[in-house]
Amino acid sequence: MNRRYGLALLLIVTFLAGCASTSQNVDPRNLTYPQLKFAIPKSERVTLENGIVLYLLEDHELPLVSLTAYLKTGTVYDPPQMTGLAGITGALIRSGGTLSLTPDALDAELEFMASAIESGISEENGSVSLSTLTKNLDRTLTLFGEVMLSPGFDQGRLDLMKKNTVESLRRQNDDPKGIAGREFRKALYEDHPLGRVATIASINRITRDDISAFYRNAMKPGGMIIAASGDFDSKALVEKLNRLFGKWQPAATVAPPVAQPDITPVKRVLQVSKKVSQSVIRMGHLGLEKNNPDIYSVRVMDYILGGGFTSRLTQEIRSNQGLAYHAGSRFDIGRRFPGVFTAETETKSASTAKAITLIKDIIAGMTTAPVTQEELQQARESIINSFIFGFTRADSIVNQQARIEFFDYPQGYLENYRDNIARVTADDILRVAKKYLHPEAMTIMVVGDETKFDQPLSVFGEVKEITLENGQ
Amino acid sequence: MKKLLIILLLLATTASAHAAGLADRVREHTLKNGMKLLLVERHTSPTVAAWIRFKVGAVDERSDERGIAHLLEHMLFKGTKTLGTTDYAAEKLLLDKIEVVAQRLLLEKARREKGDPELIKQLESELAALEKEAGKYVVKEEFAQLYNRNGGANYNAYTSSDGTTYLISLPSNKLELWAAIESDRMQNAVLREFYTERAVVMEERRRSYEAEPEGKLWETFLASSFNAHPMGQPVIGWMSDIANLTRTKAEGFLKRYYAPNNAIIAIVGDIDPEKAIALVERYFGQIPPGTPVPPVAVEEPPQQGEKRIEVIGDAGAELMIGYHKPTIPHPDELVFDVINMILSDGRTSRLHKKLVVEKQLTTGIGAFSAPGHRYPNLFIISATPRAPHTVAEVESALYEEIERLKNEPVTERELQQIMNNLEFEESRQMLSIGGLARNLTEYEATTGSWRYLIEHRRDIAKVTPEDVQRVAKKYLTRENRIVGFITKQEVTSK
Repeated sequence: MNRRYGLALLLIVTFLAGCASTSQNVDPRNLTYPQLKFAIPKSERVTLENGIVLYLLEDHELPLVSLTAYLKTGTVYDPPQMTGLAGITGALIRSGGTLSLTPDALDAELEFMASAIESGISEENGSVSLSTLTKNLDRTLTLFGEVMLSPGFDQGRLDLMKKNTVESLRRQNDDPKGIAGREFRKALYEDHPLGRVATIASINRITRDDISAFYRNAMKPGGMIIAASGDFDSKALVEKLNRLFGKWQPAATVAPPVAQPDITPVKRVLQVSKKVSQSVIRMGHLGLEKNNPDIYSVRVMDYILGGGFTSRLTQEIRSNQGLAYHAGSRFDIGRRFPGVFTAETETKSASTAKAITLIKDIIAGMTTAPVTQEELQQARESIINSFIFGFTRADSIVNQQARIEFFDYPQGYLENYRDNIARVTADDILRVAKKYLHPEAMTIMVVGDETKFDQPLSVFGEVKEITLENGQ
Repeated sequence: MKKLLIILLLLATTASAHAAGLADRVREHTLKNGMKLLLVERHTSPTVAAWIRFKVGAVDERSDERGIAHLLEHMLFKGTKTLGTTDYAAEKLLLDKIEVVAQRLLLEKARREKGDPELIKQLESELAALEKEAGKYVVKEEFAQLYNRNGGANYNAYTSSDGTTYLISLPSNKLELWAAIESDRMQNAVLREFYTERAVVMEERRRSYEAEPEGKLWETFLASSFNAHPMGQPVIGWMSDIANLTRTKAEGFLKRYYAPNNAIIAIVGDIDPEKAIALVERYFGQIPPGTPVPPVAVEEPPQQGEKRIEVIGDAGAELMIGYHKPTIPHPDELVFDVINMILSDGRTSRLHKKLVVEKQLTTGIGAFSAPGHRYPNLFIISATPRAPHTVAEVESALYEEIERLKNEPVTERELQQIMNNLEFEESRQMLSIGGLARNLTEYEATTGSWRYLIEHRRDIAKVTPEDVQRVAKKYLTRENRIVGFITKQEVTSK
């Protein structure tokens, strides 16, 4: 029986999308427990000669090392006519070989020793990471240095990546959930880089020179943070990283500022016609970012409204009414820009309007009456008691701490997190619900077969039909 | 189908220094009632993963029970005689009435056009009223509430052809909560809210298979691959299967198989094994054993020629090629592992290099064994053609690589790369307590012993280039293959 890849999602069918006493007469509601001993594990912070910050956490249980460099860049810097440039640059840093190794030679050497180096650029950062057996750390680090500082950007691999990206654009409307997610976001971040989507034309415009220029802006020591964990000697690793990166001082570049999106909630009803038996529903508006002191109250509110199996949305739409397998909501807390509040479900065509109405009413309910003490307690205890699951592995601990600094989280964010959650009251939740939930001014996005809906979407407002274009 | 990381087939290995590590660290204990317990002590963080695997899955369903293992998995989240209810005695009277009405309704609907629409309407409203009445006694999601409030993470369950698994991670001081809830669930489950949950599963089916062309290809492909064996039936069931499941059937399945002798438990993390064993003995030790899951007697007859399956869908072309093959403990299973890795593992794999990079016919390729491992299964290659290239072009390029496996021996370097990657994998799989609990239960259930994990690399090392050629010639033939593909239907969306 062999390992990894496959169609796991199709092979297994899960409970959640992703959801008499015992013979000894023990009531699980009344058990008492020993005290849990837990302190947030600390990693070591070191600065290289040129300012790169390292976070290090040794863990010698397994002969493995992993390391991630965080780069100050992001898809938000894509030039409007070249949407997709950051993503392709991010992937090509690794897949395009180096100045001394062709892509084939780099692939062959890394995979032979079971080492991996991967790179990518997402919305608000880039990253280059490695994983390796300890015995191959030295050589893998050397290759990591080459990938970071002297990538080859092989023209053949660039062409291949562009072709494959174009193919994925041709297929971007195959999956109804994919359509809904993309069009919903496009509407919410209208005119902002976070709402832009690549097209075949924008991809085809990208040249190797554009890639090199984008890379030069992205790869610089200022603001870079490297997080390393595993089976290494910290002193030796710092020396090696200093040799690889410490003297590196490229000409400084300044990223152009990116404007904040307009967060005024707008009532929109958007419809994509697709002949499917189940409608995909996404509803919401823009929310808040991490420096907002209300994020803790919003977190608890979010848990009660749509976070997981005991939430109001799941209870009513799934468990009580059997209208959906998946129903929930989420405030994505943005790092530099306001994130999205999304309430979502998928339901058979004939209950589309019913589900939308329920979601809207349940959201509105959060803004009109305080949550119960029981809901509040359940939410706070759940968030506080599961906090330790962010710290179960050395690599998650060290990356967590690196990201706190990289994204400039408030001082003490992790240390005070549980106390900040514990302080949230029902009044706080009502206040933030009124402030950050806008049930009357949501964007409602539906992908489905409108000829089979229980009511036309026009009952929710003026409907705008979106015509799908496969990457044009 | 998300072609990336996956969970189910994940597996692999362990040998050498760290295999010895795992071999020394797994503590086995079997209760008198037959329940198998596997424990690994690990103090990286004060957390513990507890997984329960029942050795009964979709492959054990009769034809009138298709989908029941999975629906039952959902139902076991609904509580017990004391959890999830305010008054079980009163509730039970209503649940029994609901069952009578629901079965009458099913019978009337089964008469199709001969059914009495008035009666159906009347029964439907009766059922709705009774369910509403019973709902008054329900304490919603009390398991989830208890687990969440105590810091539980990853509370979930999954069903496959091979088995059904219930999983959770908890702060390690809360292990007793798990024992109290799960031993109650094993003995006293009440399948309340059955007919509403059945509707939820129908939505799950629409979401994962009907609205997803690749999901549709997958289940059609599997169903077409097996003439006789239940390996081919969809785990979730066909829509009309689900619509005709009843609480009575689910209870029958539950009572027959959900017993300690069919269960394997893995507890991994911040535990004292002696105390954990005592805890499990205390909570589960008195539960009586049930019926052992009987082996599936049906044998899939040898395929007599190529099967070709087309699914027309509103999506780009996809291709899947499957070959019937034996499963564990047949020695050829290991050779298939080698073939799999040579063909599809990473950027240097043969299929990636040839089809993605060199010929640029596809955007991606994959290979895996499915749909389960308890009975002979399929070796499957999947590929996504890149326009303007066609399924036919991709197919013939794939067959060239298959022929190459038969005609030239694989190289020593390819085999060594596999060994190096297995060495890495056996450490990597130890990183997460949940991942380790998963592997232990999965291998214990499907191979008969978790030790497969520590013997795999040693056994793979014995596979020779001649073995690969022999196995390729024997199984990777035209007569033995099933080819499935999506043909894009241009839908005019207005």
